[in-house]
Amino acid sequence: MPLLQHICQLLYDSHVGTAIRESDNAFPIIESVHVLGITLLVGTIALLDLRMLGLVLRPIPITRIARTVFPLTWSGFVVMFTSGFLLFWAEAAKNYSNPAFRVKLILLALVGINPLIFHTTIYRRVHEWEALTISPWRARAAAIASLTLWSGIIIAGRAIAYF
Amino acid sequence: MKTRLSLLLAGTLSLGVMPAYAHHSFAAEFDGTKPVRLVGKITRVEWTNPHSYFYVDVTDAKGVTTNWGCEGAGPGALSRRGWKKGDLKIGDTIVVDGYRAKDGSHLIDARRVTFPDGRTVYGGSPGDGGPGDNGTDKGNLPGTGNPATQ
Repeated sequence: MPLLQHICQLLYDSHVGTAIRESDNAFPIIESVHVLGITLLVGTIALLDLRMLGLVLRPIPITRIARTVFPLTWSGFVVMFTSGFLLFWAEAAKNYSNPAFRVKLILLALVGINPLIFHTTIYRRVHEWEALTISPWRARAAAIASLTLWSGIIIAGRAIAYF
Repeated sequence: MKTRLSLLLAGTLSLGVMPAYAHHSFAAEFDGTKPVRLVGKITRVEWTNPHSYFYVDVTDAKGVTTNWGCEGAGPGALSRRGWKKGDLKIGDTIVVDGYRAKDGSHLIDARRVTFPDGRTVYGGSPGDGGPGDNGTDKGNLPGTGNPATQ
């Protein structure tokens, strides 16, 4: 058995994983919390992405929006990640071989790389362009990548249920 | 990028392999025109979210035994109908009325389960749109139009 699969099986067979999987209410409650976390995270990220594309809040400088949504985005991330891990804990052995889950993990890795590139390149000079109605193409590319990847993650996440 | 992504997703969606493990509507996997009644012995029970599974050995007229998987609602919905974890024991003989999987595998959606003591419980997931689903926890037992807990 591959190491990763072995780890998934250990998680699956653990007390916590089993308790969540066999629970009357915990599982659906965690699922709901997971969706609320995604709403907060992706909703606030989308606001910044759409601003860089020049679609919303055009008169407001980028950094002002970024500062405003930052705590919300990270709160959403913590909620999403924690609840998502609990769901994975309960279903790890089944998730391991689930193609939609694998696609979702790949997309999550890509969506993590995107802001790393963004913040170490074009965003370093944000004060030069933050007042522009439409951001430079590198920023727009990052925004489109972010919106596309997050959409894909949500679709893949939902699709886990159908395999 | 978007095109490539949707192609990727369409590709994974089209794989559609059994066994099905997760939460979905009735029509995503089962065929409402293929009712089946299984009478057999319990070999395995998975009391799990988001769907429960139990497996029965069914012997046909020719003496051939086949292991069938039966999918039911999750622990929460089944508990509210009075079906508790541990009610089904390995070796129990039960009757399951349900519908076959679209892919023709030995998997059914269990809509009505009759226990050894004669008690009958609706097995469908609430709101799954399958036969007997009336939007409530109880559902209707297939063919009777009556609430399930009798």
